[in-house]
Amino acid sequence: MSDDADTRANGNGAETDADGAETDGGTASQSDAAEDLAELEQYPFEWDEPANNDLAPGERDSVSQRAEKYDDRKLVTGQAKYTADYEERYPDLAYAAVVRSEIPHGRVTDIDASAAEAMDGVEAVLTPDSDAVPDAKYTSAGQSYPEPSPWDMHVLTEHVRYVGDPVAAIAAEDAETARAAADAVEVRYEEYDYVTDPEAAFDADAPQLFGDEEVENEIVGHDYDRNRMANIEGELGDPESAFEGDDVHVHETEWVTIRQSHANVEKHTSLAYRNEDDRHVLVTSTQVPNHTRRQLAHLFDIPIRDIRVKKPRVGGGFGGKQAMVVEPIPLALSLATDRPVLYEATREEEFYAMRSRHPMKVKAKTAVTDDGDIEAIDIYALSNTGAYGSHGMTVAGNVGSKPLPLYSKVPNVHFEADIVHTNTPQTGAMRGYGAPQGTLALEGHLDEVARDLDLDPVEFRQRHYMEVGDLDEIAGMMGGEGAKRRIRSCGLDECIERGKEAIGWDAIEQPDEDHLHRGVGMALSAQGTGVAGDELGAAQLMMNEDGSFHLQVGGVDIGTGADTAFLQIAAEVLGCDEDQIVVRSSDTDVTPFDYGAYASSTTYISGMAVKKAAEDAKERILEWGARMLDEPVADLDTGDGAVYSEATGDSVTLEDIGYEAAYGDEEREHILGKGTHCTEESPPPFAAQFVDVTVDEETGEFDVHKLAVAVDCGVAINPGMAEGQVEGANHMSYELAVSEGITLDDQGRAEVSDFDEYHLPSATETPPIESILVETHEPTGPFGAKSVAEVPTNTVPPALSNAVRDAVGVRIQEMPITAAKIREKLDER
Amino acid sequence: MDIELTINGETTTVEAGSEQDLATVLRQHGHIDVKCGCDGGTCGASKVFVDGDVRMACGMAATEAEGSDVQTVASLGTQDDLHPVQQAFVDNFAVQCGFCIPGMIVQATALLDENPDPTEREVREALDDNVCRCTGYQKPVEAVLDAAGRMREEGVAADGGRPIGGEPADDTAMGKPADAGGCCGGGCDE
Repeated sequence: MSDDADTRANGNGAETDADGAETDGGTASQSDAAEDLAELEQYPFEWDEPANNDLAPGERDSVSQRAEKYDDRKLVTGQAKYTADYEERYPDLAYAAVVRSEIPHGRVTDIDASAAEAMDGVEAVLTPDSDAVPDAKYTSAGQSYPEPSPWDMHVLTEHVRYVGDPVAAIAAEDAETARAAADAVEVRYEEYDYVTDPEAAFDADAPQLFGDEEVENEIVGHDYDRNRMANIEGELGDPESAFEGDDVHVHETEWVTIRQSHANVEKHTSLAYRNEDDRHVLVTSTQVPNHTRRQLAHLFDIPIRDIRVKKPRVGGGFGGKQAMVVEPIPLALSLATDRPVLYEATREEEFYAMRSRHPMKVKAKTAVTDDGDIEAIDIYALSNTGAYGSHGMTVAGNVGSKPLPLYSKVPNVHFEADIVHTNTPQTGAMRGYGAPQGTLALEGHLDEVARDLDLDPVEFRQRHYMEVGDLDEIAGMMGGEGAKRRIRSCGLDECIERGKEAIGWDAIEQPDEDHLHRGVGMALSAQGTGVAGDELGAAQLMMNEDGSFHLQVGGVDIGTGADTAFLQIAAEVLGCDEDQIVVRSSDTDVTPFDYGAYASSTTYISGMAVKKAAEDAKERILEWGARMLDEPVADLDTGDGAVYSEATGDSVTLEDIGYEAAYGDEEREHILGKGTHCTEESPPPFAAQFVDVTVDEETGEFDVHKLAVAVDCGVAINPGMAEGQVEGANHMSYELAVSEGITLDDQGRAEVSDFDEYHLPSATETPPIESILVETHEPTGPFGAKSVAEVPTNTVPPALSNAVRDAVGVRIQEMPITAAKIREKLDER
Repeated sequence: MDIELTINGETTTVEAGSEQDLATVLRQHGHIDVKCGCDGGTCGASKVFVDGDVRMACGMAATEAEGSDVQTVASLGTQDDLHPVQQAFVDNFAVQCGFCIPGMIVQATALLDENPDPTEREVREALDDNVCRCTGYQKPVEAVLDAAGRMREEGVAADGGRPIGGEPADDTAMGKPADAGGCCGGGCDE
């Protein structure tokens, strides 16, 4: 889904339909030959790929090797530094705590901070009126610019819209005092009516969260009278007519998803101070250093050049840190106290006042012929964005734009989403970004249709799904991002074949006990690789005189291993060992610009920037090699830490070149390489999920024996790390299928305050996960890579629902899948 | 109040408030390898050995550790000389963000000390109160089983040959430089 402004202009329903009909001329199947030719030229299959990008497995020295993750040794010995570990550098550090709304909706009428201010060790109490607290509206979403999320928040707010809204902030000598002072602040409210259910909120008579003047940068389709922050719609072909056809079966199903916590084990943590140059420095646990810098500059009216955002090791993000969630608090407190300030959220705050996955109700509808041809698909999503709209429109867009393109052969497609406010905790970006909700609806629905029409569920999908060479129009049908994309790599067939084999699809043995029934289920998924046409990554490489390198890259490693992938990409180009390169990522004063770690973009976008930087440096290295060997550049290449001649076999080491370049007699040069990368492309990675379950028909209890998931991520830059991404994503997906998530009471207050109350499947509760990497070659990606880390987040809820259906014949459409729900359905039969 | 305890072999006196948890006090004394991801005693990231038993340091009062022998993950191995469990975590790609890993390695080491040849189920049970959001537990479980195999083959004691509560390991890395390039890789303004 688009992260850009075009979507706001084009994303509205009726207009898009009209525009779409004119510009797109219907669907691929309806195009005439001239149009086909024109599209072939505009979206060519052939890609002008450099020869060095497509290496056979035997030609790869660094890429696709299981290289040691470069930061692992400091991680396993506990020596790596996360934001809170910088505490000891600042002897005069103050600690922050936040006073949060205890009511779901109302207006602050009075804040009595006298008791807090009188406490020993309290340095400052900030309220919405304080000088250091910005008045400006903003969105916390860390996205591109102009921002595709509404400016509907304040750093500290008088109009509170959920239990957890920040009202006041404290800085104190130590964390205990700060929290005690926060407890001592007395806030009085005028209480308003509130609404927690999205369907009720969408009613014209519902309590209204936002007045007319309370939002800037509004999003397409907003209707705040009905608490709607956005409406988006897109269409291909003529679905309405297709659904009315005489010869089709129309099925409709409805699916419900949970409010999932990111549960990043390192809490949101941020340290701010003013340095001796009167500049503002943030050491912070973020996925988006450059966006955060821009957002802080906007909010505090400080020039971008005077803000520095540094990312140390990050203890997990998963989208929860693709946002400026906490940074304004310590910055405002450091301005007020002129001291460095550390804010570390509590775990309770993580559950009720940070971010969560948008809970949704998604309807799927298809028109299918007797022969099993899908004539039309329609998806509708009602998304609960909570009290604020960060990532609201873009996440909802992905409910359609990620799963629907899987079935690129379907001629008529419609998607619409309403994004609605309630007085509940804030939502935001989360791994999968709308695709898990859409994939549940689509893949569960198709399974049900296949069963009803007595079609093989796998074959039914295979007849309609993407193939190499397809022109995908669905991903862009809501406007914005690359309206169409040519598919140049697709390993779905092999993913299915190997996934089936791993789960034993054709050879499931039933248990001996009559009341136990074993079933298997499957689901497919596609994601993207970066936001098409809305990404930028950059890198710089400096050669030292001993032939080693410093790699500075804006791409943000949040624990994924991105830094290691960058090293492998650079080493492959430079022909040296990875340990000859020192990587430094994500410090806005030092590293080149990058959009940040989201949308599955890091390896593809930032990695390609690294590759370009390394190639730029290599060009200079070969020039120096040519001079020193007295041979033409055309005969030279790098490898094994040297420049060697393919003609004569002579070579000169990178170290000799480094010294010569830095200290030579006649000419000297600091060998530098720079790379910057953007693209209109966003090739989909694919996943085929398989689940093996046994259900007890007497109790509804079920036992998931195994999750098997095969992923086409192009060429895996590091297979060990890629498998880790797949398994972690599949665990998160499993949680979406079997856990309650963050439950709320009647007032929208989170009922979960720590890990012992949040049902994250533990080591014993998690089934074995078999991750299978299916290699394809994506010519637009660095050494053939596309993304991996999001697509396996989408697939377990539908695959498990399908497996339960297979085992005992009942269908669970409302997540989580529980024994009680299965038993209830069994009783209904 | 002042409490005396031994941390990674070094006997020391630390100041601790009556309400302060052990993890906070250890961190205040430079032991940043003790992590905390919860509001006290639930996520397992802060696991340390207290007199040989695994405890969540953020879930116990510091005063309770008076006179105790505390060992953190830093006592097990150094970056140049990893404990077999640490090495297995590296070799099996069991580490992503790494925040939960110190506690998980402490727990895994304790398991292998008691049970050098655990089943997969026993490994999962041992790690059951260690919250990990990144890995789905698959590779950590594989790493612990791999470490068990290596240690049985090599006859290494579960503590890597260093007696728990015994002599200090000489290079427990607390004085080691942190990130290469210091705080900022050359653009430092501190």
